[in-house]
Amino acid sequence: MDLSGAIAGKLSLNQKKIGLFLLDHIMEVFLIALIIGLTFRAHGFMTWENWMNILRSNSLKGVIALGMTMVIIGYQIDLSIGSTVALAGVIVARLCRDLPPMGIDLNLAAVIGMALSFGVAIMMGWLHGTLAHKAGMPSFIATLASKFGLYGLAAILSGGYPIANQFPDWFNQIGGGRIGGANGIPIPAIVLIISFLIILFIMNNTTTGRAVYAVGGNKESARLSGIDVGKTTIIILIVVQIMAVISGFMTSGQVMAGSYSFGNGWELDVIAAVIIGGTSFNGGIGTVWGTLLGIVFMGVITNGMTLLNFDIYVQYIVRAVIMALAVLVSSYRAKVKA
Amino acid sequence: MSAQTIRTDQITKDYPGTRALDNISVSFDSGKVHALVGKNGSGKSTLVKIFSGALKPTSGEFYLNDEKLHFNLTGEAYEKGIVSVYQEMSLVPGLSVAENIFLGRLPQKYNTIDWHRTYQMAGQLLQKMKVEINPREMVSRLSMWQSQVVEITKALSFNPKVIMLDEPTSALAQNEVQSLFEAVRALRDQGVIVIYITHKLQELPQIADTVTVLRDGRLIGTVKMSDVEHKDIIHMMFGEVKVQSRPRDIQVQDDVVMEVKGLSREGWYQDVSFKLRRGEILGIAGMLGSGRTELLQGIFGSEPVQKGEVIVEGKSYKKANPIKMKNAGVGLTPENRKKEGLILVHSIIDNLCYASMNLTADGWVENKRRRNTFAEKQVEELEIKVPEVRALCSSLSGGNQQKVVVGNWLNTNPKIMLYDEPSRGIDVNAKQQIFEIMWAQARKGISTVFVSTELEELLEVCHRILILRHGRIVGEVNPDDVNVNELYELCMRGD
Repeated sequence: MDLSGAIAGKLSLNQKKIGLFLLDHIMEVFLIALIIGLTFRAHGFMTWENWMNILRSNSLKGVIALGMTMVIIGYQIDLSIGSTVALAGVIVARLCRDLPPMGIDLNLAAVIGMALSFGVAIMMGWLHGTLAHKAGMPSFIATLASKFGLYGLAAILSGGYPIANQFPDWFNQIGGGRIGGANGIPIPAIVLIISFLIILFIMNNTTTGRAVYAVGGNKESARLSGIDVGKTTIIILIVVQIMAVISGFMTSGQVMAGSYSFGNGWELDVIAAVIIGGTSFNGGIGTVWGTLLGIVFMGVITNGMTLLNFDIYVQYIVRAVIMALAVLVSSYRAKVKA
Repeated sequence: MSAQTIRTDQITKDYPGTRALDNISVSFDSGKVHALVGKNGSGKSTLVKIFSGALKPTSGEFYLNDEKLHFNLTGEAYEKGIVSVYQEMSLVPGLSVAENIFLGRLPQKYNTIDWHRTYQMAGQLLQKMKVEINPREMVSRLSMWQSQVVEITKALSFNPKVIMLDEPTSALAQNEVQSLFEAVRALRDQGVIVIYITHKLQELPQIADTVTVLRDGRLIGTVKMSDVEHKDIIHMMFGEVKVQSRPRDIQVQDDVVMEVKGLSREGWYQDVSFKLRRGEILGIAGMLGSGRTELLQGIFGSEPVQKGEVIVEGKSYKKANPIKMKNAGVGLTPENRKKEGLILVHSIIDNLCYASMNLTADGWVENKRRRNTFAEKQVEELEIKVPEVRALCSSLSGGNQQKVVVGNWLNTNPKIMLYDEPSRGIDVNAKQQIFEIMWAQARKGISTVFVSTELEELLEVCHRILILRHGRIVGEVNPDDVNVNELYELCMRGD
């Protein structure tokens, strides 16, 4: 009796451990299952070209999602990133068009444009963070305002039309280039991987990362532990803006034009990838790895549905279901662990 | 209205390990204000919760006018006319007074709200309470006591037989208390049984007709207010307490580590000055609302101060903040550990290392091994019972959570620790362990400021006790020279 009880106890303990492990890695399990399924069902899925294509098209939003992970873990939000994407491209395009006739070298013009874009991004991030921390304005509101403001600014600067074919070639390569020939690795994918490693390091191995988790988990406790809440809030909102600028360069480089309409509506896709990656919208919980999975997951499923000739509107519904399921799994996981 | 009575017959309420109420037989009749007093944990709120149907007695009966009561749901007590008004406001700030009073049952005409009747009925009720409050006023624009009165008026609108008021004056300023009392007397004169729970004994002569004292779950007695004096009630509340004393080997050193000079915060505390010596455990005794929590927050810089300075080891801090004070070697364990001390969704190891983040890291980069060492050191020294340091903080018991809050600060190598109600909501054993920790730290030369509502604790733990009354330090006592009753007197006197 005793012995069988003990064995049963041990078994159930092991089962519980396996259950928890599966719950923690459910995204990986789903993703592998999805990839295996698509490999057999979708013609042309498991090819180098297709995978490079998935990486290239998802890196643009992906780099922003990595920054947004920090923001959401820190219990803030940035809705303006789409407009920042557009503005960054437009600034560079405009300067590349207008400065060379004034005798400034095209390459220099592009560099000035990039520096200016980063400057605007840092300023906006600082502004959002300061408004959120000092003036108590929710970042939802502050960045929603910026979304409209920056969009308008980008439209004015571009005169309402795309500014095409002005960039120096190396700038076009940022978005469209590949390393290792025509079938090589797209540069945006490399940017994504490098960004992933940097943000992973920040969140897991630095005091800044710990502070972001702490502030998002409980702002008051963090403050009373002598953590600089204001600085942390400002940092995360600057990082996501910088990522949006980088994405803006890649986006406009890829199509060799700057346009105010780029990035429109991206904020929601980006937030979706972060949430699907298991980051809690209540702050304090989430991983950078999860977001990378979320990006790849969304990329693979969109690619797969396209290869399988799913109706584009059906694809929206599939994404909706995935997102709802992902959030349900996350909250179930939080409940099991508490 | 004819005379009404609510009474209990040998009510007992058991919790695992403790008996919250022990064989209580008591009765309250209408037309009087019955004060129910007792220190924390005496069982008064348990009794009130049984009346209101929130708890069921383990054994015993209770009756309203000889009708035996038995509630399965809280709503049933309401229907019988037993209403409790809690200190937490349940009003909707964005609605008018009248809407709040009749929330969910606004009078209707032709299927639309009959505003005229709503305001009229609310006006009549407010008149009964003898207060001048406009029923059309938004609740958010009322003062504290007015909101409290609206809350009571709302209760009155159900034509209750019994109204229980739980610490109704705790959030009120001195002059507002009088206005509230007017309303309570008006209530009493309408033949309602008023049960008034308070810890402010100075209020009793003004408002109470009878006083019922509970201590450790037992009924000590019910007396007529006119027959007793202040000190009789204190004696009933505390009895003969044997205070355990702190170990004698903890020596206070001569040098002053911290000096608080003329610290003031408008409306909370004024001109507070004291010195703290190395290795000293200094208690601050004061009632709820005396400004004790705010004073600690002011010293720690987590809330603003208007005037004065805090000098830590010779360095003056005027507009301090927690970051500066942490670097100066000061730590604070807040009163509300769940909301202000811990990040419940994070692991125990994380929570033990937030304040000391800069010490565990090599500059900007985390050193995970050192972080583990820091966490494990506290787990061991404070005897924190954890299944695993990676488990979430929310999985710990109250006492162990409190130890994590303390450990978080001890990891910063503080010179001064400020404890705000560290023993709140934790069991006797854990309490004793927290005291042991304070003593152990004192032996290492860490100075402590200890704030507690439980005066016995201060007598047990501290070298010296300051009396804080209405935000002013009005005296200083040596714990060896006073007993609990005297200390309580000192905290209340002159109110």
